[in-house]
Amino acid sequence: MATVKLTNVKKIYGKNTVAVHDFNLEIADKEFIVFVGPSGCGKSTTLRMIAGLEEISEGTIEIDGRIVNDLQPKDRDIAMVFQNYALYPHLTVFENMAFALRLKKSPVTDENGKTKYVKLSNDEIYKRVTEAAEILGISDYLLRRPRELSGGQRQRVAIGRAMVRDSQVFLMDEPLSNLDAKLRNQMRAELILLRKKIDTTFVYVTHDQTEAMTLGDRIVIMKDGFIQQVGTPTEVFEMPENLFVAEFIGAPKMNIFHANLNEENGSYRVSVCGADIPVDGEKGEMLRARGVPSREVILGVRPEHITLTSRNNPAAIPCVIQVNEMMGSEMHLHVLSPEGEEIIVRVPTVQFTAQQVASLVAGAKIFITFRGKVMHFFSPSSEFNLLTHDEPEENEATEDAASEEPAAELENKEETL
Amino acid sequence: MSEQENIVEFEEISIEAPERAFDIEAPSAPVSDTPLAEARERTQASVKKTHMSQKTKNAITNTIIHIVLVVMCFVWILPFIGIVLESFRCESTGLAGYIFPQKWGFTNYVRLFKETDFPHWFLNTLIMGVIVAIVQTVFVLMVAYALSRHRFKGRKFLMNLMLVFGMFPGFLTLILLYTWMHDWNMTDLNALWGLILIYTASSGMGYYIAKGFFDTISHSLDEAARVDGATRLQIFYKIIMPLSKPIIIYTILMGFMGPWGDFVMATFMAHNAHAGYNVAAGLQWLLTDSMKNEYYTTFCAGGVVVALPITILFLLLQKYYVAGVTGGAVKG
Repeated sequence: MATVKLTNVKKIYGKNTVAVHDFNLEIADKEFIVFVGPSGCGKSTTLRMIAGLEEISEGTIEIDGRIVNDLQPKDRDIAMVFQNYALYPHLTVFENMAFALRLKKSPVTDENGKTKYVKLSNDEIYKRVTEAAEILGISDYLLRRPRELSGGQRQRVAIGRAMVRDSQVFLMDEPLSNLDAKLRNQMRAELILLRKKIDTTFVYVTHDQTEAMTLGDRIVIMKDGFIQQVGTPTEVFEMPENLFVAEFIGAPKMNIFHANLNEENGSYRVSVCGADIPVDGEKGEMLRARGVPSREVILGVRPEHITLTSRNNPAAIPCVIQVNEMMGSEMHLHVLSPEGEEIIVRVPTVQFTAQQVASLVAGAKIFITFRGKVMHFFSPSSEFNLLTHDEPEENEATEDAASEEPAAELENKEETL
Repeated sequence: MSEQENIVEFEEISIEAPERAFDIEAPSAPVSDTPLAEARERTQASVKKTHMSQKTKNAITNTIIHIVLVVMCFVWILPFIGIVLESFRCESTGLAGYIFPQKWGFTNYVRLFKETDFPHWFLNTLIMGVIVAIVQTVFVLMVAYALSRHRFKGRKFLMNLMLVFGMFPGFLTLILLYTWMHDWNMTDLNALWGLILIYTASSGMGYYIAKGFFDTISHSLDEAARVDGATRLQIFYKIIMPLSKPIIIYTILMGFMGPWGDFVMATFMAHNAHAGYNVAAGLQWLLTDSMKNEYYTTFCAGGVVVALPITILFLLLQKYYVAGVTGGAVKG
C-alpha cells in the first residue's frame, strides 16, 4: 500500500565500520522485494533501518513519500516479522496478536469537530485477530502460549501478529531460517499464497537464494554493504551483472574457469580445460552485437548447462568423478578436469537408463562438454559481465573515476583470489 | 482477463536433450565391500561391555557423592537443630553443655515477648524489611533495566564504579553516616528511619544479578514491542516485568532479608536506646556477658521467631522463584 524509497542510505557503526554503502533503491507499491546476500552483507541492517530499529547514518528513507528518518518504528506504519519470532512468551497467541491493536489509538472526530484518540474496541480486536488466525490456520491455538507451539506454528503467529496491523509495509527478517528444511519449503509456498491475500509492500531478507528466487518480484543482491545487482529472478539468473551474483544465485553454484575467448569471422569459440567449445545461440549473437574482441575471460558455466558426451566429441573434456551425489531426480557429480579443476555437473537422471546411472560412480571417467549458448563471460580484471558492462579501456585514470565502489571492492577481491 | 489469454502453449519442447551417446570408463580399482555384518557385531559387543562397567562406575560415584552430601548436610543443619532444641529448655537459662532439654516448655518464648524489648526489635525490623524490599526492588529493577537495554555514554564506567564501590564494606562509612543521621534525628529510637535510608540509598548498586537476567531476555522482544507501538515504559512493565518474575522475587527476598541480618549498622545507629535495635542487634545484646546467663535460651527462642517471617515469605514466593517463563519466546 506504499512505496519505499531509499536514497544514498549509509550505515556506519562506531567511527569507520561501514555496514551499508550508499544504498539506493525504489520499491514500488505492493512489490515483493528480497534482499539476499551472504552474512554480513548489510541486508538485515538495511531492513532494520527501514523499520527504525537502527539509526540511519546518512541518506534518507521515504515510506509513502514521507521521510521517516527521525520517526519511531511505531510511527512508520510498518509491521515486522523477526528471525527468532520474538513472541511474547507470557501472553497467549491471541494476546500476542492483539498486543499492537491494544496499544493502538485511532483518531475519531466527535460532533464538535474535535479529534480524539480512542482505543480499538474489543470486538474490533477480536474480529481482526480471528480473521488473521483463520487465514494462517492457527485458530485452534489462540489460547495457547508460544512455548506450547511448534516452530512452524510460532512462525505463523509471528506473521499473524504483523498481519493484524494492516501496515503499509511488511518487513521480514529471515523468517524461515529457523525452520527445518521441509517446513521451510512448505512455509515458503504458503508465503507466496499469503502475499496475494495481504497484498501490500513486502521487504524480505534472506541468505537463501532459493527463497529469494521463488518469493521476490525483484531481488537485491548485496555483498559487503554494496548492492551487486537489482533485478527480477530471471534477470539475475540469466544475466548476472558480475561474478559474485553469478556464483551466488543458482545451486549448485556456477563453475568458474579461466578461459580464452577467440573471435574468428564473427563466430566465437572458447578454449577451456584443453577443449575448444563453440559459443553459439543467443550468447554468440550478443557477443557479436557488442563486438567483444578475442580476449582472456572468466568463463561461468552452470552445472545444469554441462552435458555428458562421447569421447569422439571434439569439444569433450575428459574428467574423473570424485563424488557423486544422488538427489533423486538428478545427480550432482563433482568431477576433476585434466587441469585439476573441480567441476560440478548436474545430470538429470530421468534421461538415462538405470545402468547408465549406476555406472556414474566415484573413479569413473566421463566426458563432458559445455553448452555454448548459456555460457557467461566475465572480465578477469573487473569481474563484470562482458555482456552488460563495457570493459574500461586500458586507462587506469578513467577506471578510477568511473566508479569508486567496484574499484575499492576489486582490491579486496584480488587479494582473496 | 479471460482464461483463454492466460494459456501458454509450447509448440515444441525447446530444452535441449543431452547427447544420448556418452562414454563412461569404469573406475580402475574396484570399490571394496565393507564387511558390514562383522563390523556391526564387533560394535555391539563392545557396547555391551562398556555399558556394564559404566553402570558399576556410576553406582560407585553416586554412593561417594551421597555420602559427602549427607556429611555436609549434617554439619550445616546442626546449629539450627541446636538453637531450636535449646529454645525449648526450661530447667535453666544460661549456657549448658548439652542440647537436648531435660524439661520442655515455652517459657523462653513467653519471656522473650514479656521481659525483653523483642517486640520492638521485631516490629522495627519488619517495617524496615517491608519498606526496604519495596524500594530496593524498584531501584534495582530500574537500574538493571537501564544498564541492560540502554547504551549511553559512561555506561561501562558506571557499572565498573558500582562494582568497585560494592566491594568496600558498608561500615567504612559508619561514623560519617551516624553523624548525618544524628543531625537529622534518625538515630537511637528513630534508628529505624535512618537505617531504611541507609539500606535503600545504595540499593541500586545491587543491580548486577537482575541485569544478568534482563540480558538473557532477547532484545528482539523489545524490538517487536517497539514496532508494535509500545513505549519504553510499556515495554518495561508489559513485556520485561512479567518475564522477570524470578528475579523480582529474588530482589524482594533479598531486600526483605537484609535488615534482619544487619548487625553492625543497626547496633551503632541505636547504641543509646536498645528499643531502637533491629532483631540482630537486640538478640546479640542478650548474649553480652552481663545478660547471657539470664537470657541465653531466650536468645535461642528469638532466633527461631526471627526465622519464621523469612521462611513464610520464601515458601509463599518460591513457586515464582524457581521457574522462568521465557520458554517459546524466541527460537532457542
